[in-house]
Amino acid sequence: MNPQSYKLRRFLGNFAVYFVLTFFALVMIFPFLYMLATSFKIPSDTFRYPPRMLPRDPVEIMVTGYDEPLPLYYVDVDGQQKEYALAQSNIRVGTYAPPEDLNATVERYLSEVKPTGGAMNPQSVTVNGEEQKLFDVEVEGQVIPMILVSQTTVGEFIDPQNPETKVYRNVRLSEPVENISWHPENYREVIELNNMSRALTNTALVTILVVLGQLATSVFGGYAFARLKFPGRDTVFVFYLGTIMIPFVMLIVPLYQLMVLIGWTDRLAALIIPWIFTAYGTFLMRQHFITFPKEIEEAALLDGASRFQILKDILIPASVPALATQATFTFLYAWNSFFWPLVIINVGNEKNHVLTLALNVLRGRASDTPNLILAGAAIAIIPPLIVFILGQRFFVESVASSGVKG
Amino acid sequence: MSKVALSDARTNQILRLHIIWRVVFALLATAGTLTPWIGWVTFASNWQKILVTAILLVAALASLFGARQLTRRSHAGRMIALTLDYLAFVACAVIVLNTGQVFIGIDALGETFGRGVPYLGIAVAGYFLGAIEEYYPKRNLSPTNSLKAVSRWVILGGFVLFLWQIDAVNGLLYFLSKLAQPKGLVAVAGVLVFGFSLWSMMRPELAQALNAKTNHEQIINGWLFLSPNLLGFLIFFAGPLILSFYFSFTDSDAFNPPNWVGFDNYARILNVRFAWLSSPDQLAREVVDIKIYDEVGRFKFGNGGLLFAAADKFFWLALRNTLTFALFAVPLSVIPALLLSNVLNSKLPGMKFFRAVYFMPSIAAVVGISLVWQWLYNATIGYINYFITVGIEFWNTLFNVAIVDPKIQWVSDENTALFAVIIIAAWQSMGFNTVLFLAGLQNIPGELYEAATVDGAGPWAKFWGITLPMLAPTTFYVVSTTTIQAMQVFEQVFILMNPPEGPNNSTITLVLYLYRSGFQNFKQGYASAIAWVLFIVIFGLTLVQFQRQRRSSIYEG
Repeated sequence: MNPQSYKLRRFLGNFAVYFVLTFFALVMIFPFLYMLATSFKIPSDTFRYPPRMLPRDPVEIMVTGYDEPLPLYYVDVDGQQKEYALAQSNIRVGTYAPPEDLNATVERYLSEVKPTGGAMNPQSVTVNGEEQKLFDVEVEGQVIPMILVSQTTVGEFIDPQNPETKVYRNVRLSEPVENISWHPENYREVIELNNMSRALTNTALVTILVVLGQLATSVFGGYAFARLKFPGRDTVFVFYLGTIMIPFVMLIVPLYQLMVLIGWTDRLAALIIPWIFTAYGTFLMRQHFITFPKEIEEAALLDGASRFQILKDILIPASVPALATQATFTFLYAWNSFFWPLVIINVGNEKNHVLTLALNVLRGRASDTPNLILAGAAIAIIPPLIVFILGQRFFVESVASSGVKG
Repeated sequence: MSKVALSDARTNQILRLHIIWRVVFALLATAGTLTPWIGWVTFASNWQKILVTAILLVAALASLFGARQLTRRSHAGRMIALTLDYLAFVACAVIVLNTGQVFIGIDALGETFGRGVPYLGIAVAGYFLGAIEEYYPKRNLSPTNSLKAVSRWVILGGFVLFLWQIDAVNGLLYFLSKLAQPKGLVAVAGVLVFGFSLWSMMRPELAQALNAKTNHEQIINGWLFLSPNLLGFLIFFAGPLILSFYFSFTDSDAFNPPNWVGFDNYARILNVRFAWLSSPDQLAREVVDIKIYDEVGRFKFGNGGLLFAAADKFFWLALRNTLTFALFAVPLSVIPALLLSNVLNSKLPGMKFFRAVYFMPSIAAVVGISLVWQWLYNATIGYINYFITVGIEFWNTLFNVAIVDPKIQWVSDENTALFAVIIIAAWQSMGFNTVLFLAGLQNIPGELYEAATVDGAGPWAKFWGITLPMLAPTTFYVVSTTTIQAMQVFEQVFILMNPPEGPNNSTITLVLYLYRSGFQNFKQGYASAIAWVLFIVIFGLTLVQFQRQRRSSIYEG
């Protein structure tokens, strides 16, 4: 094979690889971009078709002689596209033609044209078998009786530099001048008006406590499983392993009744306490501790260190990556959980809502303002994304290894 | 690790006190068995009274037995004493926390916590300041030393400010004020007494006097370290799991005492009828008793058909939808993931970036994601229909054909609603599976490919001959976890669909039906039975996959 064609083939191969990867990356990332872009829009912009990515606002301009700013539109004037301000809309215009020659049309405001013979004694003429009213239309100083062929509504557009220059165009068919503008106040509105700030703090509180509690119990448990020999250990461990595959929905009914029994329904405690004891986390910590060289520990024991000291001073400082991984896992799980909060926290008890519940309420409450809904979704989605970016290295690697070993 | 060694005589004295304490403990526990029955402590139902009495009786007997063992200087006595005191200690500590309303007080913390977060941030920043030293240990010592000191002060300062901002002082005062009632004080006393007894029993002299060996310390430490986890696990996992099984045989409604109904719940779920139809559109009421059965579906063939009716048609619709969902969502997630991971496995620059991007959907909240897709699916202004329209126009002009834009209604059409959910689920789990496959790929030894290249195998031959068989364990793991997830689909449906069961029940899933039965109609016994049926279905699917994987690996091996 000659080297040139080999190079070409490799180039094409790499190009194909990046093409496929980029395509899937776009598929993966597009909903996030859509969410972010829409969350900065004004409501009318979100309902536009065809949809556009970047948030845009209609441009308004002050014109001398008008008290309020006027919206700008692109208007076709003498074959050129110009930016004119809309001074007056809903002007009704009629197209008139003499009954003898329906093609010789002129346009006049409906308000300026009077019926022939006055309002009291209108006259009419029969055109193509239909009776039509006659109107007095002035054309170049002459009054000619004409019939109304059609009527439309137009807007009066004026040149902002020269307000005397006016053209009349259909407003709906004119393209408004828009500029890209972001509305971060959507976020403020969601946070202040829709209970999101309380939900955000509750979620943060619940997540922090679950992460800390789960780390503590699984570090101790994992250490006991990995390093301490005691009768019953292996039985309990097998028992733990067996429950890892059991889906959470199996527990939801009895756990709910347990919460009713101890009076934790509608309480944040119900979102925290049951979740700080986990078989899976304990299993992961055990798998981690078991890889540790035993000699260091034995030396420390001979020096009179207690098991607790060994754990605190030797094992935990050396396990930061494993702990970070588990903290990230737990963080995501606690932050994103929805089913259990939905069951245990009442819809009416907004004080104890977490983000996912608040989003569920927002969905119904703000169904006509997708910008606010998606701002809420962004508030729920962005913190995990940040945690993911920070802990990405540990996290992805560990998902990979747990999948292969586990 | 006590500094002062005790004399033998003193040790004997302490041991005697422990024996007396064990007897006192037994007497207290026996007295405790009476309290529920004479009305000192009230319980909601009889079985709770019986349970408490039984536990206390067992504790009393065990304590007496422990005392006997202690008098014999047997180490078993020490173990029993430690176990009983520890459990009593934990129980008292929980009662203290509960009486002081610590658990319920977390709600109040939700109100003030927001104010404290910035200061907590300061403390965290202080920690990272200190961590700088860990990462750059070779810099000269004096400035880093001061950096560590500064970090310590920042952490402390930030934490104190945090506590102040969240009103910790008032919280503590409230805790103490709530504790100042007989129940609370008794529990505090219990914590002190049991704690002191534990501490005393753990002293090395006493251990020696009771013939403790080194492995005894390991046993004690092992159970001690495992205990927080194990107790929580038993209370919040194993216990409820058994209760769930029990509830599935009752008519429990969460608030009234449940009645045993035997297999009624399961019988209702599994009560189905098949009936032959003489014409494809024959009415259901002509072939089954519609007072009991509802039509779930019918299979039409020729001029006849088969009618499938069930006593609980929603369960069977849910089962059908859930299985359909899994049948599509799992391959749609796994096959692209397998292909992508092979592409990602090329040693080109930027692969880690793509890997991270693919991973993003799987970490975002399903609720948020579903809301985003809800607008993407919007039939008039959504991007998905827009892309379809643009694509069709492009295709039509390119090939000069006239394909009609389908204008899919997505979530409001019963034929596409479930498919809309499938797409979201596949989109969300694909990246996670890609990473799993990638890890599996990286474990395949490169020599295999080299040998195949020498033998003249092309890329496809390598993929079918080496990659797929070597990936079989990963594939099994990926397919089974994705299936287990898919069988529990709930959140996407709940958020995306309005109402959640979708048009004409087209998106009712098993977990959604469980939620509706258990938490909207409060038929919790029935919901438990649904949960167990779901579990059996999931278990069966996993077992089938496991068998297939084992057979194929035997075949290849």
